[in-house]
This record gives sequence, C-alpha cells and structure tokens, in this order.
Amino acid sequence: MSDETLPQPSETPEAPAGPYVYDYAASPQRQIVLPKTVPLPSLVTYVAEVKAAAEADEAKWQKQQADFEVAKAKAEAEGKDAPKPPVRAVPRKDDNDLKTPWPQEAQDPDLLHLQDCLGGKVEEIFEQAGELTCQVSKESLLEALMLCRQDAELNYEMLADQTATHYPAATGFAFSVVYHLTSISRRKRLRLRILVPEGFAPESAVAVYPSANWMEREIYDMLGIRFVNHPDMTRILCPEDWEGHPLRKDYPVVGWGQRDISFREDRGGRLEMIAMQKAGQLGINLKQPKAE
Amino acid sequence: MPIPTLSQSIVITLIQCLLVVVFVFVVVPLTVFAERKVLGYLQQRLGSTRVASGHVGITGWMNRGMWKWGRIPVLSYWRGIPGLVADILKLILKEDVIPAKADKFVFFIAPALSMVSAVVVFAAVSFVPGVFFTFPKWFPFVGGLPVSGGIADINVGLLWILGVASVGVYGIVLAGWASNSKYPLLGGLRSAAQMVSYEVPLAISLLAPVVLSASLNFAEMSERMAVGLPFWGLVPQVLGFLIYLTCGFAETNRLPFDMPEAENELVAGFHTEYSGMKFGFFYLAEYINMTVVAALAAGFFLGGPWLLPFGLQGLLNPYLPGFLSWFGEPHAIFFAVKIIFILFTYIWVRGTIPRYRYDQVMSVAWKYLIPMALVNLLLAALVRCFAV
Amino acid sequence: MFKNEEMEVNLGPQHPSTHGVLRVKLRLDGETITHCRPMIGYLHRGVEKICENQTFFQGQVWTDRMDYCSAVANNLGWAEANEKLFGITVPRRAQYIRTMLNEFNRLASHLIWLATHALDIGAMTVFLYAFREREDILDMNEAFCGSRLTTTAFRIGGLREDLPPGFEKLVTKFLAKFPSCLEEYENLLSENRIWKKRTVGVAKLSAEDAIALGVTGPVLRAAGVPYDIRKAFPYAAYAEMDFEVPTKTEADTYARYLVRMEEMRQSARIIQQCMDGMPEGPVMAKLPKILRAEVNEVYHATEAPKGEIGYYLVGEKGSGNPYRFHVRAPGFINLQALPKMAEGGLIADIVAAIGTLDIVLGEIDR
Repeated sequence: MSDETLPQPSETPEAPAGPYVYDYAASPQRQIVLPKTVPLPSLVTYVAEVKAAAEADEAKWQKQQADFEVAKAKAEAEGKDAPKPPVRAVPRKDDNDLKTPWPQEAQDPDLLHLQDCLGGKVEEIFEQAGELTCQVSKESLLEALMLCRQDAELNYEMLADQTATHYPAATGFAFSVVYHLTSISRRKRLRLRILVPEGFAPESAVAVYPSANWMEREIYDMLGIRFVNHPDMTRILCPEDWEGHPLRKDYPVVGWGQRDISFREDRGGRLEMIAMQKAGQLGINLKQPKAE
Repeated sequence: MPIPTLSQSIVITLIQCLLVVVFVFVVVPLTVFAERKVLGYLQQRLGSTRVASGHVGITGWMNRGMWKWGRIPVLSYWRGIPGLVADILKLILKEDVIPAKADKFVFFIAPALSMVSAVVVFAAVSFVPGVFFTFPKWFPFVGGLPVSGGIADINVGLLWILGVASVGVYGIVLAGWASNSKYPLLGGLRSAAQMVSYEVPLAISLLAPVVLSASLNFAEMSERMAVGLPFWGLVPQVLGFLIYLTCGFAETNRLPFDMPEAENELVAGFHTEYSGMKFGFFYLAEYINMTVVAALAAGFFLGGPWLLPFGLQGLLNPYLPGFLSWFGEPHAIFFAVKIIFILFTYIWVRGTIPRYRYDQVMSVAWKYLIPMALVNLLLAALVRCFAV
Repeated sequence: MFKNEEMEVNLGPQHPSTHGVLRVKLRLDGETITHCRPMIGYLHRGVEKICENQTFFQGQVWTDRMDYCSAVANNLGWAEANEKLFGITVPRRAQYIRTMLNEFNRLASHLIWLATHALDIGAMTVFLYAFREREDILDMNEAFCGSRLTTTAFRIGGLREDLPPGFEKLVTKFLAKFPSCLEEYENLLSENRIWKKRTVGVAKLSAEDAIALGVTGPVLRAAGVPYDIRKAFPYAAYAEMDFEVPTKTEADTYARYLVRMEEMRQSARIIQQCMDGMPEGPVMAKLPKILRAEVNEVYHATEAPKGEIGYYLVGEKGSGNPYRFHVRAPGFINLQALPKMAEGGLIADIVAAIGTLDIVLGEIDR
C-alpha cells in the first residue's frame, strides 16, 4: 500500500524526520558479502598451493639474499659496516594443540577400489582428517552410487547424509553436492562429491538410496539444485511460494523481506495507520521496502 | 399417614427434582475436584492448589481466602476447591463459538440432549427405599407429608434408565455431525459404534439382577439384591459386576475406552468445536453419567443403601442397641459412600492404564463381553432356580 | 446412497500428539490410513544459515536449540566436529566428563520420550513419574553449567569448567535410585496388556526398509541391526567403556520401547564407569583466542538419543566462521519412515508411530 492511499490521521499530520531512520534495505543483515575464495578441499589444490607457497618463499629468500649482496657491496664501497646478513624466516610455531589436518594421498583400499572400477570418471581421491573423499564427475554419479551400494567390497548400505555447498566464486562449477555413505557392516564412511554448475540437474539418488528423498528436497529448497528423476521435487522446509534459496551465499541472513512486517492482509489500512502513528511518535521513519 | 392431594404431590415431586439437581451439581464438581486430587496423588504431585485467575475478581478473592485457610495444615490440601467455582464461571462467561458451517440447530440441541438424558435418568434411581424424610408439621402446604427416596418409583425403572441413557448417545453423535469438522465427525462415528456395542453387554449384565430379584423397580431390585442374597449379591454376581463396570467405563467414555474424545488422536473428539457452556454441558453430562453408572453399580451389586453384607441386616437388627440401629437400616449415606467408591475406581483406572485402540475396543465388546454376559445370565438363572 | 469416500484429515500442525508442529496429511478410509504425507518446516529458523554467519564458538548455542531435549548430545557432536576440523586433541578428563554428561542427557531424552509416548497411548501416570527423574538430571545440568535445558555444556577443545565440587554425590545418589525407578515404569507398562495390545506389531519397520530410509538410533536397533555409533565409530571416551548395544528383532513399537528401556540401563552403567575411572588432569586444550580454519571439510556423526546426528562443516582459509554448516538431524531422516510405518494402520497407530520415532520438531525443521 502506498502512502497516497493511506488515510492520514489528522492529529499526527506527518511522521517527523526523527533522529533514527531505519531503512530495511540498508540494514547490515541484509548486506551480502560474497565470499572471494573457493574453500573446496582438494588434494590437487593443496599440493599446488603448498608448492606455490614454497616457491614464493624461495623467491623471497632469493630476493633477500640478492638485496643483501647488493647492500653489502654498496656498504663495502662506501666503507661502512657490513649490514646484517638476512635470516631465513622460520614459520611461526604457535603454542597450542592445533594440528591442522591437511589433505593426504589416498591410501584406503576403498578409494583405490573405486578408482579402479570407475577409472577416468573419478576426478579426485584423497583423505583428510581421517575421512575418505572421492570426487566423481557429475554425469557418473549414479553409477558411482550404484557401485558403492552393490559392490561386495564396498557395500555402503546407508546414505547417511546428503548436502550441498554454494561456491559463488568458483569458475566452472557453482555447487558441490556431497553424499556421506555409511557401511554398517564394515564400519566405514565415505564421502562422494560432485561439482555441479548453476542450472545443472544431477541425477537423483532416490533410486539407489531411498533416504535421499527428503535430503534432496531440502537441497532443492535451500540451494536450488533440482534433481532429475526425483519422485517429489518440492520445497520441504520453506513454504511453496518462497522466493529464493536461503542457503545460497547471495541470500542475506534476514531474507529478502518476506518476513518484514507486511500489511497485505490489512485491507482497511487500519494496522498500517496505527503503526505509522506509533513509529512517528517514536521518531522512526518506517519506510516499507519493496521485496527485491 | 395423610394422602397428599395432586397439587401437594406435584410440589413434593418438584422438591425431589430440586434435591436431585442439587445432588448432581454438588457431586459433579466434587468429582472433578476429586479427579484432580486423586490423579495428583497417584502421580506424586499435589493436584490443583489454587485458582489460576490470580488476584482479581471473585475467584481471586476466593483464592486469597483459601490461601489463608491453607495455613492450617489439613486444610492446605483443599486449597484448590475455589477452582471449581472458577471453572464454572469460566464456562459460563466464555465466548460461545459456533463454527461458520455448522448446522446451528443441531449444534445447539446436541449438548442439551446429552445433558438432559443424563439428568433425567435420576428420576428412576431410588436413593433409599421407602421414605427419605417427612416434612415437619409446621411446614406450609406439604407439612407432615413423606418424601420418598426416589422421584418416580416406577415399575419399569431399569427400562427407563437404560432407555433414557441411550438417548445420550444422540447428543454425542449429533454434536460430532453438526460441528461439520473432521475430528468431531470421527469422534461421533466412534462413539456411535462404541456406545451401541456396549449397550448390549451392559443390558445383558443388568438382566442378571433382574432375574435374581424378579423385578424392574430400582428400589425393589436393590433391596432384594442386598438383603436376599449373600454379600450384597456381589458374590453370585461378581462376573456380572465386572462386566457391568467395564461397560459402564465404555458408556461414559472414560479411559481405557475414551475413544470418542481420545485427546491424543482426535484432539477432543466430538466436542472439539464446542466452547463455553455448551462444552460445559458435555463435561457435566459425562460426570453425571459416571454418577449414574456408579449409582446402578452400587444399587444392584454393592447392596445399595444397606451397609451390612451377608444378609446380616435382618439378623442383627433386633440385637443392635438403639444408638447403633442406623447400622442395620438402609441409609442414603451408605449409598452415597458406595457411589463415591466407584467414582474413585474410575479415577484410579484412568491414572493407571493406557487407552485401547478403536478396533480393540469393539473386539472387547463383541468377542469377550457379550459371551461372558450371556454366561453370567445363565449363572444367575441357575442361582435363581436352585439357590434363592 | 452408500458412497465410499475417503476423507482427508490434517493431523497437526496444532495437535496434541504430534510433538510440536508436525503436520501429517492423512487420507482416511474410515479409520484406516491409506495415505500419509508428513509436512514439516513450521519451526524452520535457518540455523544453518545463521551459524554460517557466526564464529565457531557462537555456533554451539544454536545446536542447543535444535533438539532441545538432548542439547548436550548436540553440543558434543558440534564440539567434536570442530575439533576434527581443527585437529584438536581433547584432554582425557574432559572426554570422560563429556561422556558422562552425554549419557545423562540420553537418560533425560529417553525419559521424556517414555513420558510422552506413554501419554500418547493414554497412560498418563508414567508421564509424571518419568519427569520426576528427569528433574534430577536437569538439576545436575544446572550444577555443571548453570542452565538446565539449553546447556551449551562444552567448548571446542574441552570444557569451560571442571565438575563442580559435590557433583559425585549427586551422581551417586541418582545412580542408586535410578534402577528402582526404571522398574517402576516397567511395572506400569511392560506387561500391561493394553500397552502390549497398543504396541506389539504396530508401526513395523523392517531392517531393510530402515537402512534404505536411513533410519538410525533405537528404531534401527529394534529392527535387529546393532548399529550404534558409540561402538561402530567410537568417539569421546566410549572406546574405553564397557556397555552393550541392545537389539530386538521384532521391529515394532514394543521392541523399540524395550530397546530404549535397556539403553537407559546401559547408560547408567556407562555413567558409573565414568565416575569410577575419572582421570585427573586439565579439561581444556590449549587454543588460540580466535579459531581460524583451513580449507577442510568434515562430517562427524555421534550417537544422539534419537539416532545419528551428523555435523558437516566446511572451513574457509583464514575465516573464523564455518563456510558451510549442515546438520544431519536424526529426526529429519527418521521421519521419512513415517508413511511406511503408518500406512495401512489406524489413526491410533500413527500416534504410536510418531511417538515411537521420538521426534523433536526443533531439530527436524532446524
């Protein structure tokens, strides 16, 4: 309802420009700070990063030494005292109990078996923090799940969890979908991972693991990834007419404004009038924002 | 003894009706209170100890008063009594909501039907055989006239009771239907099936006392069952008593047979949509029905107003000293005590056992209770042939 | 004239026996359920989104509010998932105290389950008996961390405080009386014929279905699958504890009742062992003031009273917030099995089925 149609009470002609103006759109909770990095755990990336860091370190050291040589030569030429030789920086050791688990080469027979069976469809296998991760190509997901379920050596009976993560800063993909499989008989856990771009609909896991039903509905609801061949691809936690997918990184914490005070049901404008009156008395400028 | 004129007898009957209504409206709230307290005792808590309305109004005043009384150790347990008044006040003052799509007339008539049929049953219940009390001579208009222990001492008292009591089921069914809502409808359907089913074993189990006492008059039946049979008729009729009590639980929708209003399945069953005093009528009717069932059980199986079992009344009376003569006489107080005991049993059972499922309730009625009631009837007939 | 119509009934979201705001759409043929569809989300608060915008320490407060009946178990899972993410080794004394409190929490949660389940079926006295013992456990929570229900009991890396003085006395007193209390409940229920009629053979869920639907916890164990994460993937101090995983093969409501009752006995045993073998030492690992993650993802599952509660965390390099936080709530996954359990039964059976799944909507909707 716009301000023109609002019946203005005669006692309080205009909401005074109070000291405090609350603008919904400008509230800090509604500001989106998109992540700049892609925190996708991966052995390849890690190795590359470590290598790059070591190279940078080495380059820095070389530069320091070269600078020192130059400075030394200069000092000798000028007859001054020689400058202190540079000391190679040792990584600072914190006095705490943190032992960060880094990605490691896959040693586990399950991962190796998966790679043997799937061959080139496996994009990456590694272990981190004692957990096995196998990243397969997004097209061969169902095949990998079938293998995990039915292979006698793997025999992962239960899909314990399935979820997805939004990586807006990534190139080539937008989401990672992870499947946490549990083998009850062998007491093992495995994480299957696929990377999907925006708009891609991966195959639903319901045919292999019926427990994926609600979890995929939740992923669709929260992140907007649709699954092909899902029996009931509807929203589960949010109402059916909800706009947007809340767990995406470009969704503000307080939402797009669906939950702001809405007077849509207020046909006579009575509630809005009272609210405006009260807000005016308190010196708050209640400006109704438009949902983006 | 003077013979009353027509107008006098009408006045006396009205007085009797008033007494019964007063009895009902005293016993029912007290039963509600007892239910709270006894359940509290069974569940290791205090039960109600205050009126929730706090510090304002009549109830607040009562609350404060009772709180003061509660400083006296014994009385502290009864602090919740004003809650009864508060409950009734609340029911009367509460907004009476009628669902938009309800059948207004039937919706309105259903609680009345339930309530009326429950109260009218008392017409044939005789609290004490013969004369209850006599008006003193100075009393205007009806001075010197006796007041009998029951309103209508009719020959077909039992038929009246059974007939009128089964009208009560209409109240529930119509309430469920008229609400035009799904849970009440389910509750109404359940109650129709359940009450019709349980009428059968209930009636058959009451036929045994009829056979044994060769009468349908409530006073005569209770007298013959109490005096003519050993141990109030409870010994030859122990099976009948248990069947009757079970059916009575089902007829009054009490746990473990509270299908029509199973609150964990059907929210509140047939009275989900009712509020205010309409709901209050259902509530009262349930407790009045409980009292009726308890009165019948006490009258037929527990010796009615007679205290002494084993037919000792007649034997002992000549030897009792004067101040103990009430001991062998029938008295309404004994009757009331037995009713209260059975009411306590209701609450006791409610606090102890879970609820049956709907189909199990039906199977209990048709598979077990009816055959057992028939066997019991046969037993009674045998006792009648050879023992009495 | 005699039409055979199916009736559609909404069980909830405001209904006495849906344990919160669960809504189940039922299609009824008379009283028989022909179709059942649980609809959730009425309590959705976006815990995952909120935790992604808070630091690792702050997130724990939200885990309390998910399954508010077993807040300590949720805290334990959260703390351990973070410890896995950062590679923290927790001192042994802290592990023991965590184990003990977790088992107390299991008792409290099972007691509340017993109370509400019995009340659903109509046995109202057990409700208050069970709450009596739960009260003692809440008192112990209060003695340990100051709050009773939403505890926030643990910290990442250990505990904030050691046990308060006199705590052992409380525990000993509780353990001395608890077995007799359990017997009291069982006297009221185990051999009660109506209780058996209402529960035996009701809401069956076979082991194959349960595994396929991802059902965990007592519901799975009552189907004969001895899958208990405390044994299968030991965490905290469970590797050092001697306890059994009770299983039954009947896979019905009664079997789940028996399994949970036996679990309570085993929990009492574990608490006793924790008290007896409590090591000395610090209760907190040395940590920096602000935890900054590396790129890492962990999925850590623990055995909550209701089943497997898993925390999935993704860390971002140098960030104090989790990049992605996800909870595998046991109730959410277990509730999927409701149509399988309820269809073909009566209305009264779906009440028993909801009760036996032991759901808490705060955790399902998050």
